[in-house]
Parts: sequence; C-alpha cells; structure tokens
Amino acid sequence: MEEKALKPQKNTRTVAEINEKIRKGDAQVLTAEEMKRLVESSGVEVAFKEVDVVTTGTFGAMCSSGAIINVGHSDPPIKIDNAWINNVPICHPGAAVDLYIGATAMSETEPFEYGGGHLIEDLVKGEEVELRATAYGTDCYPRTQLKTNLTKDDLNQFYLLNFRNCYQHYNCAVNNRDETIYTYMGKLLPRMKNATYSGAGELNPLMNDPDYETIGIGTRIFLGGGQGYVIGEGTQHEASSQNGTLMVRGDAKKMDPEFLRGASFTRYGTTLYVGLGIPIPILNEGLAKKTAIRDEEIFTNVVDYGVPRRERPKLAKVNYKELKSGSVTVGERKIRVSSLSSLKTARQVAFTLKEWIDAGEFFLSAPVETLPLDTKFKGMKQTEPTAYVANVMQAAVTCKETEAVNAIAKRIVTKSVNHIMVVDDQGKLNGIVTSWDITRALAEGKTVLSDIVTRRVFTAKLDEPLETASKRMAQHHISALPVIDNEQRVLGIVTSEDVSKLLGRNQ
Amino acid sequence: MARILLKFSEQIVDKPIVSQVILDLKVPIIIITAQLNSKGGEVLAEVANETLDKVVAAFRKKGVEVSLPKLIEVDKEKCISCGSCVALCPVEAITLAEDCSIVFNKEKCVGSTCSACVDACPARAIKSVKQNNHEVHSVRP
Repeated sequence: MEEKALKPQKNTRTVAEINEKIRKGDAQVLTAEEMKRLVESSGVEVAFKEVDVVTTGTFGAMCSSGAIINVGHSDPPIKIDNAWINNVPICHPGAAVDLYIGATAMSETEPFEYGGGHLIEDLVKGEEVELRATAYGTDCYPRTQLKTNLTKDDLNQFYLLNFRNCYQHYNCAVNNRDETIYTYMGKLLPRMKNATYSGAGELNPLMNDPDYETIGIGTRIFLGGGQGYVIGEGTQHEASSQNGTLMVRGDAKKMDPEFLRGASFTRYGTTLYVGLGIPIPILNEGLAKKTAIRDEEIFTNVVDYGVPRRERPKLAKVNYKELKSGSVTVGERKIRVSSLSSLKTARQVAFTLKEWIDAGEFFLSAPVETLPLDTKFKGMKQTEPTAYVANVMQAAVTCKETEAVNAIAKRIVTKSVNHIMVVDDQGKLNGIVTSWDITRALAEGKTVLSDIVTRRVFTAKLDEPLETASKRMAQHHISALPVIDNEQRVLGIVTSEDVSKLLGRNQ
Repeated sequence: MARILLKFSEQIVDKPIVSQVILDLKVPIIIITAQLNSKGGEVLAEVANETLDKVVAAFRKKGVEVSLPKLIEVDKEKCISCGSCVALCPVEAITLAEDCSIVFNKEKCVGSTCSACVDACPARAIKSVKQNNHEVHSVRP
C-alpha cells in the first residue's frame, strides 16, 4: 500500500520489473490452478494487481522429441555413417560425431519395448550406454568400426531438441471398429468401450496464453526438470485452430528423469514423456483474464481412430472438465475416458517452476519474436493415387437365411464365387457362408443354412485404404471381407485375390 | 476368501462340474469371471479359506486343473500416473485419487483372466504376477 502512495497505479508491468521483484524475493507467483481460484473469488482486477507470474505445466507423450549429442572424436577418428546406442538406431544428421537420438526410434533387439525415449531417460539418469558405429572410412576419418561405452559426462553436448512439443490441446480418441486397436492414443477397445485423451487442460501452457502474447523465441521454460528455451513454433503449429505447438531446447545433462520418461505404446512404438512448463508474466489485465481459463472452457473433439484416414470422423465435442471427470457423452452413450498424460506430474511441473521463481533461481525472459498466428497446417501433397476398398470392390452375391443349403451350393457354382453374404430384408449383413462351409455341410448332411452361417464377420468400409483391409484379412486368416455402409448394409465384397492383384501392380 | 482359477479341458467342459461340487460339498462358490466355449476355458472362483482345500481336491478329482490366478501388480517406481489403465479396468479396481495418483485395489482385480490394463501401460509398470499369500501353498498340487 505504501508503494501505491509513491507511484501512480499502472495498468501494465514489464518482464524486467517482474525479474527485479524475483531478485528481491517479492514476486507473487501462482500456479495456473491457483490463479483460476483467485480470479473466481476476487476478480481479474485484483488478480492482475496481486499476481506477477502464473506457472503452467504439462507432462505427456511427445513423440517429436529427441536429443542431439556430440560424442567427441575417437582416435583414429571416424566419420560415423551408421550408429546404434543400446541397439537403438541413431540419426547422423551432421558431421562426424554429432548424433540425434529420436524418441520414437526403436531398439533393433527389443522393438516396441525400448527406444530412443528410454535411451534419453537412461542417459539423464547417468547410466552407461553402449555406442556402436560403422563408417566407410576416408583419408581424414580412416576408422570404419567403433564400439564404446559412454555416460552423459563423456558427452560434449547433450541437448534435448524437440521439434514439436506441448500441443495446445489434443483429440479425445475412441474406436468404432469391431476390433481393439493400438494407437498413439493408447489401447482403444472395440465399439467405443473406452476413450482416451491427452493434455492438462487448464494447466496447459499455451492455453493460458492462447494468443502467444508472452511466448516465442527465447522464452525460458521448465523442460524435463531443467531450464530450457522455446526456440520457435513447433512443426504443424496452427494458431487459428488452437493447435499451437513449440520447438524447444534444453541442457539434458541438467534434467531430471522424473520429468523425462521413456514409454512404450503397444503396437505403436516408443516415445518420450516430457515435462514442460511455461511461466506466464502477468503483464496486463488481459493476461490475468486469459490465465483464469477453466477446464470447462477448453473444448476438444471426440474422434473415431477406428477410421484409418487422415480426416477422421468427429463424433462429439467435449470439454476438459468432462474428460477429467472420467467419462464423456457421445450421442446417447456415456464412455469411460482415461488420460494418457499425467495431471499429477503436470501439477508438479507448475509447482516446481513456482518454487524456482520464488527461490530466485529462475528468471523470466521476454521473447525476441512471439509465435506466429498465421501459419497453416497442410496435408501432404501426394502425386501418386492411393488404393481404397472402393477401387477393387466387386458386387456381392447374397442370400437369405431361410434358403436351403442346396440352393446356396448352386448359386456358388453359377456365380463362380467363394463367399455368399447372408442378408436380411433390408440388405443388412447377418453373416457369411463360404464354399468350404457348404462343402462341409453337404458332406455332413446338414440342410439348414442357419446352422452353418458364420455370424462374427470381419468387414471393410468403402473409403478404407486397401492396405488396412488387406492387413485385416491376413490377421484373421480370411480371404474376403464384405464391404458395408454405416447401417450394416452390404455394398459389395473385397477379396484377397483382388487386393494382391492391385497392390502387386502398384509395386 | 481365496481365489482359484479352474481350467476346463475340451473333454470335460460340457459336464456340470461346478454345480456338482457345490451340491456334494454343500459350500458356496462365487464365480467371478467365466470364459468358456466348446473348446474349454477358465473360471475364476472365490471360496472361503476354510473350505479351500476340499474344494480344490473335489475339482481336481473331476479332472479340473486348479491353480491360483495371477494378479496384477503395479510398480510404483515405474508408474508415471498417467491413468491410461483406469478406463480399461472392467471391475474398477484401478481408480484415480484426489491428487491424480493411481490407486490399485487388489480385492477387486480379477487378475490374469482379464489383464486389459497390462499392455496399455506406457511405463510398463503393470505386471501379471503369481499370488503370494499363505493360502496359496495348500493349493499347489
């Protein structure tokens, strides 16, 4: 109050002023969750006056992560051509001994269980890792083979260098197919029996400064338990759809494995969980208001990952309050939902960052350039056509369940097909019979069709890529799939023979 | 109460063995999960500790393979508290605490007859493990 008497009331403050307060130990820092409570109880004006910094945090699987390492020169020197660390293949994007560990690169001996993410975690923990390398040998780099054991202390540089982190928000995933699928959104049970989501909602860094007033190149952040920097917008960044992303860098030697964890997604691959937090300087009342955003104001789409296409059907809109409650409603149905990212650790990130600032160990930095607002995220330009089920589908030969086995046998001969779809009066699929089923029924003297119909039928959709349909046939050892529409009506049939003809030709 | 896993082969799966054991011994048997078809299958059952030995003996006499179900164990050190497992658990044995830690309730878990959570754990913190309490020993053949 004394200060008020000396200085006129200001309606803005600067990063330099905040840093001065941090230095003196006077800065008021709240986590994003605390800020929301303060704004709710006391209003934006009071919150702006009282709070200098709001800390945010997230801890989730961030696949476009990795680490750049420089392993020093061997004697005689080597210009590394191929390299593996703990059997994980390593990129060699630059000169002789600069290597990049990609989080999703998988071990050649333990694929899907150990990968670049785990390797980065092991290095951060101080564990010894095994580097193997080969090279073609030059006059200046004569060595062609190398094997050595290293820890992070033996590396010249060990920097986390992530080109897409910290999505502003992310889809909620379900699977409308008849089979369980394993995706980067985790295990999705058939017929929407579960849902998964990712992201910290109201704690999410970019959601607390959605117009990127304070975030850009040079913003100092919490990264993996150490200090890092935003080095620009991440790949696929698109502000207009609130799909902001970050490119970040930080000294991994000083990071903490609690906030940097290797992970394995069954049948998808390996990745890295990254803890990332951004301090938002409350420079004006607008930022006080923005950092008060609540889970119920942050929306995302429920998306059907059962559709193996770039554009997947959006089935519902839900907010993060619903997601965090453990169930979401899609149409008439209530679906249990799990988080893939950790809210507990996200809170720890925001809290640790607050403690650092309170202790005068972390100072804010104003960006030299804020994140762009105009970039567009385009799909890939494709110059060769992709084959879909529609391209090879043939007309289906159908029958009614009331027909006799004999009649079906005749139809198989006259139409020269191997598969007959059993349909109801509306043309909806009820089952399938094959020439083998008929042969067996005749041999065993069975005459009633319903005794031999296969009820559990694997199907395909018209706009499905041929590759996934082909994979389904191989997986279940079957030679054809009925093609159905969303109402289960039979549109045709796709056979493995037709698939191999077309896919074979394309190759 | 003790849990036992009953394995029925193709030869005996169509016989009313469970009901016979209940009638013969006059003891209640709780069936927790049952996955059976004409090729055989498994039943996870619960019986009172004091009747365990005679129930096991009776099933074995009728050709049923009896073992202890494997339960799920969560390695707290490895767990990253993401919660991926929570919605997959059909018996709500895994829940989130107020602070978003994972709480695992062994009493509710149906163990290896389900295992839906095991391959969904990105930290590989969930394992199917043999039950390890004192009742177990009497069950081993």
